Amino acid sequence: MKVAQKLWPWQLLLAVILIVMAAGIYGSVKRIDYEWRWYRVPQYFLYKAEDPIKVPDDGTVEEVATAGGTAKITVNLVDGNRQVFEVDATTVRVDQGEELFIGDTVGYVTTWSLGPLLTGLVTTLWISAAASVLGLAIGLIAGLMKISRNYTVSMLAAIYVEIIRGTPLLVQIFIAYFFIGTVFNLDRNVAGIGALALFAGAYVAEIVRAGIQSIPKGQMEAARSLGMSLPQAMTEIILPQALKRILPPLSGQFISLIKDSSLVSVIAITDLTKSGREIITSTFATFEIWLVVAAMYLIVTSLLSQFVFYLERRLAISD
Amino acid sequence: MIRTENVVKIFTGRGAEVRAVDGVSTTVDKGEVVVVIGPSGSGKSTFIRCVNGLESFDSGHVYIDGVDIADRKTNINKIRAEVGMVFQQFNLFPHRTVLENLTLAQRKVRKRKKTAADEKARMLLRKVGIAEKESEYPSRLSGGQQQRVAIARALAMDPKVMLFDEPTSALDPEMVGEVLDVMKQLAREGMTMMVVTHEMGFAREVADRVLFMDMGKIVEEGTPEHFFTAPREERTQLFLKQVL
Ligand SMILES: Nc1ncnc2c1ncn2[C@@H]1O[C@H](COP(=O)(O)OP(=O)(O)OP(=O)(O)O)[C@@H](O)[C@H]1O
Ligand SMILES: [Mg+2]
Repeated sequence: MKVAQKLWPWQLLLAVILIVMAAGIYGSVKRIDYEWRWYRVPQYFLYKAEDPIKVPDDGTVEEVATAGGTAKITVNLVDGNRQVFEVDATTVRVDQGEELFIGDTVGYVTTWSLGPLLTGLVTTLWISAAASVLGLAIGLIAGLMKISRNYTVSMLAAIYVEIIRGTPLLVQIFIAYFFIGTVFNLDRNVAGIGALALFAGAYVAEIVRAGIQSIPKGQMEAARSLGMSLPQAMTEIILPQALKRILPPLSGQFISLIKDSSLVSVIAITDLTKSGREIITSTFATFEIWLVVAAMYLIVTSLLSQFVFYLERRLAISD
Repeated sequence: MIRTENVVKIFTGRGAEVRAVDGVSTTVDKGEVVVVIGPSGSGKSTFIRCVNGLESFDSGHVYIDGVDIADRKTNINKIRAEVGMVFQQFNLFPHRTVLENLTLAQRKVRKRKKTAADEKARMLLRKVGIAEKESEYPSRLSGGQQQRVAIARALAMDPKVMLFDEPTSALDPEMVGEVLDVMKQLAREGMTMMVVTHEMGFAREVADRVLFMDMGKIVEEGTPEHFFTAPREERTQLFLKQVL
């Protein structure tokens, strides 16, 4: 009888290896004398923006009333109107009775704003989401076309898949933006999403084709023998079963898409990667920013795989 | 009810040409039970699949209720709704419950309301003796139960004819009986049936007529008495000696 192996020695070994590797990296970085500036990173997620509040016309300050953290400044304008401005109490710039000229700042309002790392992340997410939905639709259609018995239809799909899979995504994005985008006067976002969707679609098509062909022939025959039309049999019988099987490779494809979307930064779409590059040009916190950007991609992709894992278990009830 | 005229089906694979069905002409009258027997590879499956157009044939005609399915203008889906088929491998829809297996085509093809379809399905499940399994998924059923569901699924469309392609060949021996019982009951109720089977007992007991096929052709045709007591053809005698 084989005794069940103890896990903890291996966990210990794993921890040791990881620590040694981290120490190695730390040591190497030490040698090149890099100055870490982690404190600079948080402001690129969220920062306090101070918006100056200015008077729209000349006038006099009638009253400055402070309550809690905000101050209410009442100003009599020259046109006879009275206006109240709310600013942060600590930023009040004027006193009672003071004469103001048009455009003078009475104080500031501070608001929390999304920094470039978060706006970049949002851009990355929506571009990936849009390209995924579009890519799924394209892939579904191309996959179905590929298994069509009609020569022309299946060849069209095959040519599309071959071209996309045989060329680099970066080149496709350039072509979509500089060539097709110029000819049809496309917005850079449209070009970027379009290129990503076409790219993902080709891989999805192959996944869909393989998924459909993995369903036993008897399923289609049973459906047809009951009088269902080909589209009915496809949507009711074949695709639901195929989709369940292709969920793992499909989700892998969409996770890739999120990572590949970083390439749209070359056509000046300010996604997470481009935001990172822009921050670096102004801070020189190269190491920190790239590590943070990588971690952000990693978080998004792991959340997505967790979600897919959950879906798979939900769908497994009929097995 | 069914009339076939000179049906020919040729498979070409790797240069070789197989005449799987080679000029088969026969009829199945309303209420008749016709059993097709023959050695493996004789074209029984291919022939019965030609009858509902699952296999497209190279020449000849198949008339269902007078409608030629070889005619391009025929709506094959309409014909198939009238011709139930039961497969060797059951082919239940694994992602649907037993009840949904029975109601799906009723609703999509026959356009029945959910309540009507459910009622019909439950009635048929009671008839084949598995009413209590209606919300199970097919994978949870035994082979015999699955095949009975498959029969009920075909019956739910109110077919005029039922085709069976070796319905008991994939079953463990102890489950063969329960499926044959359902088929016998159907035959007694007057269902028109065409059955490919190796169950000689069933053929002898239920068949109105037996067809013996070999090499894609009908070699001999007759009543069970004639067939099992005094077969004319040498090939039939040889085959029966092997299986009985
Ligand atoms: N899809 C196909 N492609 C090529 N040849 C085929 C195909 N289907 C059947 N055949 C051939 O046609 C012939 C008849 O096959 P069929 O399945 O109809 O025989 P059968 O009488 O049903 O045999 P069994 O009792 O084993 O089921 C066989 O020689 C078989 O190899
Ligand atoms: Mg067969």
